[in-house]
Amino acid sequence: MTTILEARDLTKSYPLGSTVVEALRGVSLSVEAGEFVALMGPSGSGKSTLLQVLGGLDRPTSGEVILEGATISRLSDDQATRLRRDRTGFVFQSFNLIPLMDAWENVALPFTIAGEDPGRGEFRERIRDAIALVDLTGKEHHKPDQLSAGEQQRVAIARALVTRPALLFADEPTGNLDYTTGTEILDALWRSCVGRGQTIVLVTHDSKAAAYADRVLVIGDGRVRETIELGRRESHDATPLIARLAQLGL
Amino acid sequence: MSLTGLAWRSLRARPLRAFLSTVGIALGVAVLFAGLATNAGIDASVDSTVRGLLGRADLRVAALGEGGLSAETVRTIGSTPGIAVAAPALERRTYLQAVVPGAVGAALPPPVTVLGVDPATEALLRDLPLIAGSQLADPDESSALITQGLAEQDGLHLGSPVTVQGAGDPVTYRVVGILAGDGPITGAFGRTMVVPLRTAQAAFGQTGVTRVDIGLAESADTSAVSRDLESRLVTEPYVLSAPRDLAVTLRASTADFQATTALIAAIALFVGAFLIFNTLSMTVGERIREVGLLRAAGATRGQVTWFMLAQALVLGVVGSLLGLAIGALLAAGMVAYVGTIGSVTLARPALPPEALIVGFLVGLMVTLAAAIEPARRAGRIQPVEALKTRLDLPSGQRARLRWLAVVFVAVALVGVIVWPRGADGAGVIQALVVYAILLIATMLIPFVLPATARMAGVPFAILFRFEERLARSSVVRDKSRTALTLGGLTVGLAMIVALGGVGQHARAAAGAWIADVIPGELVMTSIRPIGTEEGVAEALSAAVPGVARVSPIGTFDIALKGVRTDAAAVVGADMAADGRLTFTAGDRAAALAALDAGGAAIVPAGLAASLGLSVGQTIALPTADGRVLELRIAGIVERSLPGSGGEAVLVGWGDTTNALGLAGADAFAVRFAPDAPPAARDALRTAANAYALEIVPLDRIGGAISDALARIFGLFDALAIVAVLIATLGVVNTLTMNVIERVREIGLLRAVGMTRRQVWRSVAVEAGILGLAGAILGIVVGLAVGAAMVLLAGGRLDVGAGVPWPTVGLTLVLGVVVATLAAAYPAYLASRLSIVRAVRYD
Repeated sequence: MTTILEARDLTKSYPLGSTVVEALRGVSLSVEAGEFVALMGPSGSGKSTLLQVLGGLDRPTSGEVILEGATISRLSDDQATRLRRDRTGFVFQSFNLIPLMDAWENVALPFTIAGEDPGRGEFRERIRDAIALVDLTGKEHHKPDQLSAGEQQRVAIARALVTRPALLFADEPTGNLDYTTGTEILDALWRSCVGRGQTIVLVTHDSKAAAYADRVLVIGDGRVRETIELGRRESHDATPLIARLAQLGL
Repeated sequence: MSLTGLAWRSLRARPLRAFLSTVGIALGVAVLFAGLATNAGIDASVDSTVRGLLGRADLRVAALGEGGLSAETVRTIGSTPGIAVAAPALERRTYLQAVVPGAVGAALPPPVTVLGVDPATEALLRDLPLIAGSQLADPDESSALITQGLAEQDGLHLGSPVTVQGAGDPVTYRVVGILAGDGPITGAFGRTMVVPLRTAQAAFGQTGVTRVDIGLAESADTSAVSRDLESRLVTEPYVLSAPRDLAVTLRASTADFQATTALIAAIALFVGAFLIFNTLSMTVGERIREVGLLRAAGATRGQVTWFMLAQALVLGVVGSLLGLAIGALLAAGMVAYVGTIGSVTLARPALPPEALIVGFLVGLMVTLAAAIEPARRAGRIQPVEALKTRLDLPSGQRARLRWLAVVFVAVALVGVIVWPRGADGAGVIQALVVYAILLIATMLIPFVLPATARMAGVPFAILFRFEERLARSSVVRDKSRTALTLGGLTVGLAMIVALGGVGQHARAAAGAWIADVIPGELVMTSIRPIGTEEGVAEALSAAVPGVARVSPIGTFDIALKGVRTDAAAVVGADMAADGRLTFTAGDRAAALAALDAGGAAIVPAGLAASLGLSVGQTIALPTADGRVLELRIAGIVERSLPGSGGEAVLVGWGDTTNALGLAGADAFAVRFAPDAPPAARDALRTAANAYALEIVPLDRIGGAISDALARIFGLFDALAIVAVLIATLGVVNTLTMNVIERVREIGLLRAVGMTRRQVWRSVAVEAGILGLAGAILGIVVGLAVGAAMVLLAGGRLDVGAGVPWPTVGLTLVLGVVVATLAAAYPAYLASRLSIVRAVRYD
């Protein structure tokens, strides 16, 4: 297996009033191609900060992030932006769709930003694929306010996948959704991982979501406290994971 | 902490918006105050001009005939009961050194106006302030006071000899005093010399005087004395006038300027109101949660409303005070730039306390009026709004344009009320019509917005497709806010287009006017009347090859229905042959023939309308021998020859010389034959010099009018640009708000791969679309407003009609450039957003 993402001794601190908050205190990890990794931890543990630094949305105070061999923490803003656009996808807790664009246009956004014509054959094919993957065929021309919360999040996933990124980052994608809808989202992510070999890094504090992953990194106090290997699984029953977490005293 | 204190903090928390609003109000108030101060300055200048012309005289008897008023008449005036002082004076234009007849190519020096006064009586009615030397004392001594300008231009000083070209031999005076400023005569370009009356009469071979200024005894009643004078003065034609009449005439010549200034000031204020309204509406939208919390914590609706109004009050007070200061500077600049309006030379703007108070109060009231609706909207916010996670503005909470219509009408009413003088009825109607067109256009903006934005987006879409798409959706996101922003911009730009159109029309009309009434391509002017018997016209025609026609024109004054009116003696046959004059009533050929036959007059349309004259009526004029000359109105013309105060009544030479006592022509219009040799003009110049005639080409007359108009319209444009500037502040405000509202969206786009430059560009394109849309709407509305202004001023659209292309081009550029400049800060703000914080933004 090839390593697609590597983090070396990441720290991240930022000032808060007169004090300095140390969100990351030396995190090292690596993600293999096709792997589904979950970052778990209580709120304030630093898991979202870690994801943002890994995804190049934010820069580490020290340490390096290497994505497909490129050290993104050393790239210029424009270079990092382009890498993000072409090689990664993001799904956020709040769906973050552009309200004035319909589902198809929202999915096409990465191509449009890159100055491509999303109506062109190859791109159109990819957009159709991504929409089909999240089960939204037929709803391409619905505006976000005409879609349910789950559907909106699936549009966001399609948008993140449409460029066939090396890595998909998802930050609490089910945080705003009810149980059933959340399951649909996780199923969609899992399908892309199993069916297409999509590498995924998922941040969650929900053990039910983390149970989809091959490996769970437990983050606490700005460090990786524990790695739980679950392996590729067909059943996403969270019981084994909960049992393991209990064993660890978490 | 009190709610008022919270309001103050709320302003300080948003320094940019508070600053923009304050500057917006300040600029609006500045234009208003500058207008008031300039107009007060015009009034003061009118008063000082009248004082300069008439001194402390209560009445003036001015001669109509060339022979002037005889010594007998002067004595009759002096002996009329109630008259304490009668000061006679003789006014003549001449040259200082002897003109050598026939000197080839020698240019004539500028003429000098000689005013002969009786030193004893003149001093009782008029002060002649000196900067050096002493006043005239001996009525028979050849002493002269000369103006400062004349002394500087001709290198004269105290004790210098000055030789005046009189009727016979040159007469030499000695300079005994230098007069301050331009001296007692306006229109003499500061080249005046004052000498004892008797010496002037001797020099010019006159026995009469040009005018007698009258000072009344303290107990005398002006109208009683006037009636008495009218019954006593029956032997010579004259016009009796009072300072008030002169002031009225002078004010009338500045009325258009004052009305237009008022209109632009009202529009600038209105655009300022847009800004305030929009700013406070945004504040309400942005602070729904905070206001909801205040309500949940027990604040009443009234308290919340006050919380918003208090912010407006602070903005209004600070902005208005700042505006008064800027306005004073602006007024000084306006006066220095324009210099002369109509027949009035401006000295300096006045800063009357009323204008200070009006400027301040109007600024404050407009601010508060614009704030009332957003404040009430804030008051209606429910406490539960504070608890909602997503802050979607319900449609009821958005800014309402309807309210702006109310502010608009309020500003219009204030405008009508605070502008009691200067603007006559027509000016007020014109202003209200313009205002109404702008109001309707503003109310229609939300409906035409999507289509206009799409149109304006086209050029940007070619270069930046994606940015244009994003920008356009941002433009139409909050239609009422965009409409408000666009409304201000449209109104400001529309005024520029409208003034461009009106200015183009005025210049074309001025040129067309001169060409329409003068039977020639150049005019030769004389400083002395040249009688028909001298045969100058014939001699010039004979001496210069290629001259088709030399037509004499004599200008004089008549008393028409008791009002001093300009008149001109012309040759009807020349007018007919040259195809001049446009008749609106009466038969052209018959009317011009009747003029030469005698007993007929042709009246300009404007005068006919104001005096209720029509073809076939007769007008009665006092004649040189004390009788009355009856002239039948043979025709009415659209425009007539320009006189000193208005357009002239045209009379035939026969009547003028015989009955009205005009000594001769003071100008000749010359028309060359189509096949005239190139040397004809030089030959004419040589021949003209022999008769001391000065050649003035028509385009120079038209050019002078054009220049004066260009200066005045340049000023109006500058004022309209201030309105655009205010609107630009609104653009900054709106774009900033759009960025703040879209923080999450921009963060997402950045996360998905949009570069900083792309974000920057999308805000700049948004501004460009706003600017271009404003310019497109402004041009459409401005053309309509311009046409309305021309029509309401009695002009015709076919003269100088057509689109003022240079102004239209300028407006397009101005709209896009100012809006894009306005985008600089918001675009920077957007491109620097932290993605991490943006996607978390709530």
